[in-house]
Amino acid sequence: MKLADLQAAFQAAILSGETKDAPILGSLAAPDQRAQGLSVYVNAYRIRLGEFLAEDYPAVKALLGAGRFAELIEDYIAAEPPKSRNARWFSSRLPQFMRESEDWCGYLREISVATLERALTDAHDAADAEPLAIEALAAFDPQDWPRLAFAFHPSVALFTAEAGTLAAFAAASAGEAPPPPAEEDASEKIAVWRCGPETFYRRLEADEYLALNEARAGRSFGDICELAAFQQQDALSPERLAQFLVTWFADGLVVGVSAED
Amino acid sequence: MQKPAPLGYGLGFRPIYFEEIVATRAPVDWFEIISENYLVPGGRPKAMLERIRADYPIVMHGVSLSLASCDPLDYDYLRDLKALMDRIEPAWVSDHLAWTGVHGLNLHDLLPIPFTQEALDHVVARICRVQDFLKRPLVVENVSSYVSFAGQEMPECAFLAEMARRADCLLLLDVNNSFVCAANHGVDPRALIDAVPAERVVQLHMAGHVERDGRCIDTHDQPICEDVWALYEYTRRRLGPVSAMIERDDNFPPLSELLAELDRMRAIDAAIAAEDVGSVS
Repeated sequence: MKLADLQAAFQAAILSGETKDAPILGSLAAPDQRAQGLSVYVNAYRIRLGEFLAEDYPAVKALLGAGRFAELIEDYIAAEPPKSRNARWFSSRLPQFMRESEDWCGYLREISVATLERALTDAHDAADAEPLAIEALAAFDPQDWPRLAFAFHPSVALFTAEAGTLAAFAAASAGEAPPPPAEEDASEKIAVWRCGPETFYRRLEADEYLALNEARAGRSFGDICELAAFQQQDALSPERLAQFLVTWFADGLVVGVSAED
Repeated sequence: MQKPAPLGYGLGFRPIYFEEIVATRAPVDWFEIISENYLVPGGRPKAMLERIRADYPIVMHGVSLSLASCDPLDYDYLRDLKALMDRIEPAWVSDHLAWTGVHGLNLHDLLPIPFTQEALDHVVARICRVQDFLKRPLVVENVSSYVSFAGQEMPECAFLAEMARRADCLLLLDVNNSFVCAANHGVDPRALIDAVPAERVVQLHMAGHVERDGRCIDTHDQPICEDVWALYEYTRRRLGPVSAMIERDDNFPPLSELLAELDRMRAIDAAIAAEDVGSVS
């Protein structure tokens, strides 16, 4: 058998989990031991990928329970065999896989927690940037403030989650029983970021979520005020926006500021 | 082929030990990193690496080059590897005589190859291309295996020696892998040690394994066993001074236990050196 065919057959056995009747067995030596030897690779593949997922999604595992999480792992590995050279990225698509899967799309809270855990992992090794101190604003004339636009740390991620996501994540992370799913029909807006080596997350009010989203898109301070007033049917005062800005600086989210023409 | 000077006694760098290494300036001569763990945009992994690099020589050890795969070489990966190499200036760069996937997949395992002329030609050509791209010699490691292939045309030791000669590459001899393979395939582990070209071996790996269902599994989660220590001593007598290190990837003990294993390496080497001096005088 040519090397390419042999590798294809070997990989097929690992992916299928088949060791007793795998076609590759015919190309292996030591007939009395070859199925057992092949099973080392077959088992190691699933164990290793399962460990990657368990490491990146401990709260999802706690919420689902070990048995159901093992089923999720099995489904994900079958649907999304790893392509990246770096194992770090293997688990990236788990939240999306759950959303798109008929069997898992109903686990709304778990999907939201998976999205949060994914964002935390991504923030952990996102590109570096030096946070800016709020004193940087002193370089601008107050009359220029409506034209100020901000650059944010590359780790910043914003998303909308199911109600109760943060409580479920906190409980699962602490090894406690998760609270019952929230009955309120309200979503949670969540920000995730890194400051120095530490990753952080917090819940945002709807107006801060809107403002931060727009600021990240490069809109100026004045434009955000106008947009917020338009979208929310009530004015988002410059004072409230200024409060957000102080918080963003204090949290280490802001890494650049400039006055737009 | 210029063989780098020995670095002494090293450890595989694992983040769990970072704080203690920095705080105590751990008595380790050098560290080996898993290259892929640092092919990330930034954050704590890169910060830790830069901090360790400030105090210790570093060697880069990859697990995804997939040297023996029949897929095309991944030049995006090689570019990332080269960028990391240029940044941290490792003493050398290594990966495995193995493949990790085909058809665009990477199974994150070091999969075995048949020791045939076809595989040898294939691997030699790819090592040469990698070396041309990285503009430095590649260090290639023997792997553990749990199956062997029918119709093999040479033993592993002959394959490794011929590969190194034709590709003009360097070798990383994993003593534990030699032991594991020999146990699983019923051959003498010393055959590989005896056959490797000593002038090309720049590094030794030592690690622990487990025995499960009559088979040795290379788990890196146990202390080094006595049989592997004996093989280490045999290797030392055959190869002389070579940079040596311990890999530990799970079931992490206190750092002091790994340092004690390094001390045992030093003691074995010192005893052999003393014998050599005695025999000369």
